[in-house]
Amino acid sequence: MSSQINMSTQKPVNINRHNPALAMILSILFAGLGQLYNKRFVKGIILIIVEVSFILTLGNFINYGLWGIRTLGTIPVVDHSIFLMIYGLISIIILAFAITLYIFNVIDAKRTAEKIRRGAKIPGFKESLRNTWDKGFPYIFVTPGLIMLLFIVVLPILFTVSLAFTNYNLYNSPPRKLLDWVGLENFHKLLTIGVWKETFLSVFTWTIVWTIVATTLQIALGLFLALLVNDPRIKFKRLIRTVLILPWAVPAFVTILIFAAMFNDKFGTINRNLLSIFHLNIAWLQDPFWTKIALIMIQTWLGFPFVFALFTGVLQSISKDWYEAADVDGGSRLQKFRFITMPHIFYATAPLLIMQYAGNFNNFNIIYLFNQGGPAVRGQNGAGGTDILISWVYNLTFNINQYNMAAAVSIILGIIVCAFAFFQFRRTRSFKEEGNI
Amino acid sequence: MKKVLSLVLALVLVMGVLAACGPKRDTEATADKPKETKKTEDVAKPDKLVVWVNNEDKQKQALQDIFDKYTEKTGIKVEAVPMDMLDQVKTLALDGPAGKGPDLFFQPHDRIGSIVLQGLADPVDLGDAKSDYVDTAIDAVTYDGKTYGAPLVVETYGTFYNKDLVDKAPETMDELMEIAKNQTDASKDKYGFLMEAANFYFSYPFFAANGGYVFKKDNGTYDVNDIGLNNDGAKKGGELIGSWFKNGYIPVEVNPDIMNGLFTKGNTAVVITGPWNIATYKDALGDKLGTATLPKIDGKVPQSFVGVKSWMLSSYSKNKEWATDLMKFVTNQENSLHYFEVAGEMPANKAALEDDKVKSDKLIAAFAEQVKYGEPMPSAPEMQQVWEPINNALSFIAKGQPVDEVLDEAVQTIKDNIASSK
Repeated sequence: MSSQINMSTQKPVNINRHNPALAMILSILFAGLGQLYNKRFVKGIILIIVEVSFILTLGNFINYGLWGIRTLGTIPVVDHSIFLMIYGLISIIILAFAITLYIFNVIDAKRTAEKIRRGAKIPGFKESLRNTWDKGFPYIFVTPGLIMLLFIVVLPILFTVSLAFTNYNLYNSPPRKLLDWVGLENFHKLLTIGVWKETFLSVFTWTIVWTIVATTLQIALGLFLALLVNDPRIKFKRLIRTVLILPWAVPAFVTILIFAAMFNDKFGTINRNLLSIFHLNIAWLQDPFWTKIALIMIQTWLGFPFVFALFTGVLQSISKDWYEAADVDGGSRLQKFRFITMPHIFYATAPLLIMQYAGNFNNFNIIYLFNQGGPAVRGQNGAGGTDILISWVYNLTFNINQYNMAAAVSIILGIIVCAFAFFQFRRTRSFKEEGNI
Repeated sequence: MKKVLSLVLALVLVMGVLAACGPKRDTEATADKPKETKKTEDVAKPDKLVVWVNNEDKQKQALQDIFDKYTEKTGIKVEAVPMDMLDQVKTLALDGPAGKGPDLFFQPHDRIGSIVLQGLADPVDLGDAKSDYVDTAIDAVTYDGKTYGAPLVVETYGTFYNKDLVDKAPETMDELMEIAKNQTDASKDKYGFLMEAANFYFSYPFFAANGGYVFKKDNGTYDVNDIGLNNDGAKKGGELIGSWFKNGYIPVEVNPDIMNGLFTKGNTAVVITGPWNIATYKDALGDKLGTATLPKIDGKVPQSFVGVKSWMLSSYSKNKEWATDLMKFVTNQENSLHYFEVAGEMPANKAALEDDKVKSDKLIAAFAEQVKYGEPMPSAPEMQQVWEPINNALSFIAKGQPVDEVLDEAVQTIKDNIASSK
């Protein structure tokens, strides 16, 4: 091996001795040592300074944080488990950054050493700085945003996720008591213990039914009205559109509270003035079935204007030529709708429609404001007949202080919404990059 | 190579986590040590005391007057930080350990249990002043045999009546039922008697009058395993409440808005609710409005739930002696009367509650009287598990389901919940 190199290069001895493995090991031992070995002195010194200052300034904090998140405190009152958990999470995020940089440092040392060994010309400090600036430009500018994102978005999520694995509830809350890690016990409870299991399953079923039925209805109604109003034979389009957008213009919580009053079984205007004509008296707020019907109707009413506006916009953009061509070919009304209108509308709006489903899945406002998740159902614990998962979480957190269980349910919620969004986004064209459609 | 590298680094990280060691502390010094009670005279005066007050204009104003007087008397500044009463506990749990908490905070007594569980408040020594407060109020702020805080305000509910529709307040339950029978005409929206009967807070007296109770109480300690909401007395109370719905005296759909609306329109003769409605009712009915204690059952005024709002001593306070002194000052006769006049809430101070200023206010006087018959809402943290099941049971009773079964189920649920939440 050495003879080959001897023949092909001009400075054989020097190259041979330079060992990438050694550079790598030196860099692992202490950032910058490998670079020094590579004779990249400025870079090496900078890296050494960075690591020393990192250890000096953040070493204690990270040590304390890691200890905190592992033990969640050892002395009640003095240690506050919640604080320790947050310190720990912050430490882990900082550590993740540090480790990423460290890996780059090691890779850099190794690569440079390999280049030296191959005899390639190594750029000087100034030149390499310019290279980094040119190649790394987007990354350098993204980094501050990324750091912000980590602390504003990721940290709270990590915190909730962590809570689900603790025993944090009213009887075990800091500062007086310390929290403990309990692993998957909360999820286990949710799926096996009688009270929790039954309530979870019935709430979960209704949540799914609610999401699918209410959202589909609001989209169907929006679509139907958009098609109607878009028909060339319809006059006063502007007026009709304005009227149809009105439900959207009133804040939802106002509407819901008014509806709650209107649906009152005895004093509400719906039973009293409308249905009494037909000698009907429906228990809108007392019978879980009718409460569900009422909720779905209200949500349809609240939700269709947005879909209507969306579809109206898209309908305008479909070229008339397509329909004329279809007419020439003798396409029927239904065929034109199926092969021209539908694909256009849905390809353009699918992501927004998915957001509608996700929104209703977690539509806390309407459930809570209309009837507080009621009416009560015999044999069901902690959740009423129309509680969806998110309003149940609210109940768990604020009424019975079961923070750990609430966090566990939240995680399940999060996973469902993520999965939902992920698969659907993958399937819609709007999120594919150009050229892959 | 990359894999080996990342493995090595992951190992380093895991080692780091495991090796991370905690701060060195003297465990002995920080363990619970008995707190010595000192007298204020022995302790140096702090420059200022921080008090969290409920964020309500009239209350803030009344308290500011009192705090100014205290500063005049002792030279200690009082910094009043307005914060909604219901947010205070949450905030204190984080601010206290961080050293930003107050010396005193203001809470309804039924949260004492959970506050003590979280270790946020310290017991206080009211000394001789203890006898200055209404017994029910002292009872309310007593938890595990210790006094947590000085009560400022008591609150309970009673009977309101419309003098146009009934000559005098119904004195017994039978009289009230007579009124309900004669004056109720649901088709014309006329009612003899309305209340939120499916809300346990208001329905409790009818359980208690017959021998029902939430938790058995012995010497100021609740036995949370002994729940008396499905004993014979409670069931008798449940039947009584059920009969109002069955006879059509009270519609199932009644809620506070509807009740207030019907009463202020003059369509209802008698309602049972709290003094916070006085202002609204008086605006609508004027002199026709009368108040009284709850109608007697078996010759006795039934026990209503009494709520007490009190000052509590933060366990993070560094000036506990002076903070205690301040809370006693705020709740003394003169100052709680001033608070009553400005903020309109009934004083928990015995002498103040008996004062002419309270008694001459005829509408309030009935509630002041009712407080004597009342009993404090249980402050055990387990009470949190009681409300929902029992309220649900009441709504089932309202719909005509068998009282027996429904109450048994509710008590079982409460027991399950208490067990599963520990």
